[in-house]
Amino acid sequence: MRNPAEPESFRLVIPSQTRYLNLVTGMAKRASVVAGMDDATSAKVSIAVDEAVTNVIVHAYGGEADHLVEIELRFLPQALEVHILHNGRPIRENEVVLPDPREYVKHPRKGGLGLLLMSRFMDEIRFLETGGGSECLMIKRVV
Amino acid sequence: MADLSIQVHEVDGVAVLRPEGFINAHTVRQFEAAMEAEILAGRYTILLDCGLLNYISSAGLGAIMGLIETVRENGGDILLCRLQKNVHEIFDTLGFTELYRVFATEEEALQSLNRTN
Repeated sequence: MRNPAEPESFRLVIPSQTRYLNLVTGMAKRASVVAGMDDATSAKVSIAVDEAVTNVIVHAYGGEADHLVEIELRFLPQALEVHILHNGRPIRENEVVLPDPREYVKHPRKGGLGLLLMSRFMDEIRFLETGGGSECLMIKRVV
Repeated sequence: MADLSIQVHEVDGVAVLRPEGFINAHTVRQFEAAMEAEILAGRYTILLDCGLLNYISSAGLGAIMGLIETVRENGGDILLCRLQKNVHEIFDTLGFTELYRVFATEEEALQSLNRTN
């Protein structure tokens, strides 16, 4: 039985392979609609989830295909929480440097855009250390 | 349906690419290879018709960014047209609409090249 004191949630565990990205983003998009978001907002959530899961596969696990990524979606009364858990190299909040888009346009280069999209499309992003693993927590409020 | 399929055709020396589906870390190599093939064939002006593109992640944006210098150094450019609302928002959020010329239709994009030439 589900504990009624806890928010409704579900989770998906995928191998650390990019071929599952479309599955995860599709789920995130549908979950955003269920949470009460419009199509434009749900598209933003799905992009943010794509970027976050890609970061885990490519950077935290270094592209190694035999690990696991856990995606948990929690339906709060006024928000959707996306928890992305892994056991790879942690990303620490004090290491995160977001590029300035105005500078980026002046001096184009590859890389650094994923975190910027995540920060622009979600209301809150946190990088946490959990018991034995790491987590990227993203929150999108339902307005 | 595949995550990404890309139709390619040529109009007066311009390579027109029509990606359909999703450009993300999984499909980006396919997207990059399609653009590189046109550059290798000497077509340095590339029009990306995004009318059937559901979304593009930073991996895809990085691929475009990685080739822009090459095409511009050879007198070409990368143009964009028919961006869906959510795809336009991604480009706009990152300032790409200042870096690339964006058109409502393929015809408008091709006409702008004729005016330039």
